[in-house]
Amino acid sequence: MILTPKELLERQSEFTVIDIRPESQRKEFPMDGINIINSEDGFIHTIEGKKVLVCQFGIVTEGMIIEQNLKDTFSLLGGAQAWIDFQSEKEDLSRWSRQTVLPEVGLEGQKKLLNASVAIVGLGGLGCPVSQSLVAAGIGKLILIDGDSVELSNLHRQPLHGIDDIGKAKVKSAEESLRTINSVTKIQCVDEYLDESNGLDFIQECDVVIDATDNIQTRQLIDRFSKESNVPMIYGGLYRWEGQVAVLNVDGSPGYKELFLEPPSGGESCADAGVLGMLPGIIGNIQAIETVKLIVSIKTNLVGKLLMYDGMNHRTEIIEIG
Amino acid sequence: MKITIKCFSQVKYALGIDEFVLELEAGTMTSELEQNIRSKADGKLDGISLRIAVNQKYIPNDIELNDGDEVAFIPPVQGG
Repeated sequence: MILTPKELLERQSEFTVIDIRPESQRKEFPMDGINIINSEDGFIHTIEGKKVLVCQFGIVTEGMIIEQNLKDTFSLLGGAQAWIDFQSEKEDLSRWSRQTVLPEVGLEGQKKLLNASVAIVGLGGLGCPVSQSLVAAGIGKLILIDGDSVELSNLHRQPLHGIDDIGKAKVKSAEESLRTINSVTKIQCVDEYLDESNGLDFIQECDVVIDATDNIQTRQLIDRFSKESNVPMIYGGLYRWEGQVAVLNVDGSPGYKELFLEPPSGGESCADAGVLGMLPGIIGNIQAIETVKLIVSIKTNLVGKLLMYDGMNHRTEIIEIG
Repeated sequence: MKITIKCFSQVKYALGIDEFVLELEAGTMTSELEQNIRSKADGKLDGISLRIAVNQKYIPNDIELNDGDEVAFIPPVQGG
């Protein structure tokens, strides 16, 4: 069982709070604003009533409770670090504790994600996993852009949409599913296709634009608006068992125009060529990873590179675009 | 000289193979290799634009190949 820092603050009178960290860690990262006792492992069993155990990141205590089958005992989600962050920020970020514990993300990175806006063009095969992962990651605002409606043939690869959503606008169907994951993320639905008249307005107010479309013409439009507004574009494309991802237009880095010299021709759509249902989940999530890396400023990324993945033999190739 | 050919998407399906080695004459240019590949595809690559990467890097223009080079043929893909 787990308890968030916010829940602990509100219900602290119900619990004995026990810090299991070594003295050096307790001194370096003290937990203020709560009555807390220090303990060795053996001592925990002798305390009556409900208890909350605290370690540095909430991982050791979760394991202890399961392994030792401790009754009436909770683990503080995100541990002392989440409590300290909560005290300083007055905002409970513990639900993201599994990613803020990563040194490359941290609390600062999570705050950037919570303040970021991302436009997703297309809510089909790629748009579903991208939006799902970004909402779960705590992105502040998503603009979902797609004029299409849900069809039966979409469902094998677009798991935000279900049988009852057939005929419904994809953006509305996606929004309903996404809200069940995280109600904090603001979601703006645009039930229109991106075109010359509306594209720039949506893209220029975002930090990143995701290309989850199914045609080259819209990719070229996104590329143009991405360049004009200096908003990076995360390209994704699918073909049968294969997918492509590239991070484009980052401070003058190559764009779609440079990736496939104009006019690119010959690509087939999923309807024409077919696509394995799991493939968009893999490629879309790589797009989501690259989005998070751009927002939290992680330099190891696919800027200026094209990643190609083949689900048939799991071959992965990364090509330098220039 | 030996050149390893890596095929992606439509190129893979047109040739029925994802990777193979070709024995080519010294001095062969990438444009000549592309014609060679297109001729093997039996018309299935007609109208499909291809980017060429040599040793995991896009080439800006036609270049001479060297023994041991890896050449990838990359078409655009539409699906999403």
